[in-house]
Amino acid sequence: MIHWKIGTAALLSAVLAGGSAAFLAATPLFAQETVKLELWSRQDPSGPLRPGNVIKAAERLNKELETEGSSKRVEVAVRESPAKGFDDDALQLLKVFGIGEGPDIFIAAHEWICAFQEDGFVLKLDDYIAKYPQHFGTIFPSLWSSAKCPDGTYAIPQDAEARMFFYNKKLLREAGYDAAFVDAMPERALSGDLTMDEVLDIAKQVVDKTKAQYGVLHRPNKGPDYIMVFQAYGSNFVDPETGNLLLERDKLAAAFGWFERGVKEGVIPANNTAMEFDALRKEFYTGNAAFWMYGIWDLGSVAFPTYGLPQDEKAFFADWGWIAGPAPQKGGSPVSLTHPIVYAIAADTKEPELVVRLLGHASAADLNTDHAVTTTHLGIKPEQLEDPRYAKAWPLARATELLKITKFLPNNSHFGELNGIIYAGIQGIESGRLSAQEAADFVIGEASSSLEDVIVK
Amino acid sequence: MTTIADELTIERRGHAGSAARRRTNFVIFLGPAIVLTVLFFVVPVIIDIAVSFTDLSRSLRISEFTTEQYEKVFRTDRRLSQVIGLTFIYVFGTLAIFNVTFGLILAITTTAIRNVSGSFFRGVWLLPRMSPSVLYILLWLWAVSPTEAGLVNQVLMQAFGLDAPLDLLTSAPIALIIISNGFIGASMGMIIFTAAIRGIPEHLFHAAAVDGAGTFAKIRFITLPALRWPISFVTIYQTLSLLVSFEYILLLTKGGPFYDTTVYALYVYRRAFESGQYAYGAALALFLIVIGVVVALIGWRFFDMERLLQRPRIEVH
Repeated sequence: MIHWKIGTAALLSAVLAGGSAAFLAATPLFAQETVKLELWSRQDPSGPLRPGNVIKAAERLNKELETEGSSKRVEVAVRESPAKGFDDDALQLLKVFGIGEGPDIFIAAHEWICAFQEDGFVLKLDDYIAKYPQHFGTIFPSLWSSAKCPDGTYAIPQDAEARMFFYNKKLLREAGYDAAFVDAMPERALSGDLTMDEVLDIAKQVVDKTKAQYGVLHRPNKGPDYIMVFQAYGSNFVDPETGNLLLERDKLAAAFGWFERGVKEGVIPANNTAMEFDALRKEFYTGNAAFWMYGIWDLGSVAFPTYGLPQDEKAFFADWGWIAGPAPQKGGSPVSLTHPIVYAIAADTKEPELVVRLLGHASAADLNTDHAVTTTHLGIKPEQLEDPRYAKAWPLARATELLKITKFLPNNSHFGELNGIIYAGIQGIESGRLSAQEAADFVIGEASSSLEDVIVK
Repeated sequence: MTTIADELTIERRGHAGSAARRRTNFVIFLGPAIVLTVLFFVVPVIIDIAVSFTDLSRSLRISEFTTEQYEKVFRTDRRLSQVIGLTFIYVFGTLAIFNVTFGLILAITTTAIRNVSGSFFRGVWLLPRMSPSVLYILLWLWAVSPTEAGLVNQVLMQAFGLDAPLDLLTSAPIALIIISNGFIGASMGMIIFTAAIRGIPEHLFHAAAVDGAGTFAKIRFITLPALRWPISFVTIYQTLSLLVSFEYILLLTKGGPFYDTTVYALYVYRRAFESGQYAYGAALALFLIVIGVVVALIGWRFFDMERLLQRPRIEVH
């Protein structure tokens, strides 16, 4: 009986001891804390790796946390919005934040960041950026200005690109311009020798002397490209002293005048704004238009895969090319526009430090290059230029030279609305409802009555 | 043997019983309608009024109660007068040409022919109403495409030798929104008018024929007088529908080019949801509600609807 008791006690002790050892060994596993982060991203075929790189970054961060002995791990859930564009997406997201259902991280067009900052929805990042130079130290300094609001930095540049006038060299040659003239256009545009009106003249020759129907085509909805024209004619839309929106009547009228002349000459179609995006691209890439005002990513996203433009650099430049937005007069300054997309962090996220580190990993040169080369966007760090994949993606390398003269859309919380009014002005001119002067008056009138703090000169 | 007092008690009980029954019937039959009306009409109007006196904007936050939105409506919004004028053209044009006149023509012609053929043609006219808005407008976009691929341009260029394709979306946008909305709207009038025409006693037409009346005389002296009530109803109902509907316009022209097809309801939508000015949109929407009520009252008075609703007008005694 005693033997039985001793045996049972020994057995129980062994089980208890073994169980305790196993429990203690497993304790770190049980104590592991998963930080769930929600990422808001627009469903956008031109940048699937914007959210994709954050998910990859979570793996890297989790390894780093493991090495540090931290019990925390991050898990990223992507919440996709079906918005048509970044403006609609930002308006949608502002409402979501407004009802307290905002995500931890969001992807936005840079000009919207200050709208989120004004309402206190977005985290200020200056201290974090300084704290993690290994992640953010080499991002091109010029790109940071796209992430700033009046009192600090509120976002991390995710990519950049270049906007330009693409042109069809074959049509220009058919119109009587010799190869030397056609090939020299990019250099002439960059030096300020080629003017905006000369582009209209060339386009008119193409329309008059070839079978091509159109001279210059531009996007058929609100967006950044046509703002280049306004920047060329001197409008920067923000008063440098106050940060308020600035509208200068003469400069606006001058830019609208270019569109007005384009339509009068039969170069810009009167129904450009009524046409479908895909129809416009098709007209240009199938040889029915001389110029197409758009962005570099269109080559990788549409021109190569859909319309079969040559992917080989030499073959491409034999018949196609691009120029910077030309100067308004000889000797003036050319323009290009970049429209960075940014990562931003919600002001009320529970683990800001972890989220910053997560986005630091998402901004790694190799991951960003994955996005850049697959979608023809420009990278954010100089070390990406040394990546053989980046060098191989020649449109990126060639377009990077436009960054020397590039400008941004103003980071004003009401620029999105102003841009809608400017677009309506272009539509008014092209459809013959307004003259250039009336369009300038229209923009000033509409903006003054519906937006706050607009300075008019 | 009952006393007078007993009889009075019974009578009172009877009255009390019928009053209770009336109350029960009221709750059963009208209660749901009243609750729904309050929930989906009265409450939204009250919310709309409340929002219009705030500064609710993009982030759905209210920082102050203000009359600023009404100042905007009356003082600074220079687009409104044009939008209201265009709305009048759109509503009146669609209503007069299609919803009433064309609906009437369709009803008269499809009831005048053989029943099978008539039903077939009415079925064809109902197709757009049965198809999703987006699909219907996609077909329109193809039809009026400003290229040689557009249906209208194919016909004009190949059958009539037109040199260059027409761009109706730019040159005649108002006509397009009237026609595209009218094709849908005409079918409703057609159905109601058809039912009313079918309700006219057959012997009246035979009697008129014996008296030597021709087709137009029969329409003028028998059909049209019998259709007074349905015509009044369709006119008022469709006016109110047209005032607040804009989905086909948004899909077909997006309100453009410029503001050329931006009717009042679409203008409210654009201000509120495309610019995030929700409070201003609420103030503008309030005027739309007021306009709707005024139009309904004028229509009620103009068509003497009260008298028409008292008893059926079609039956002949």
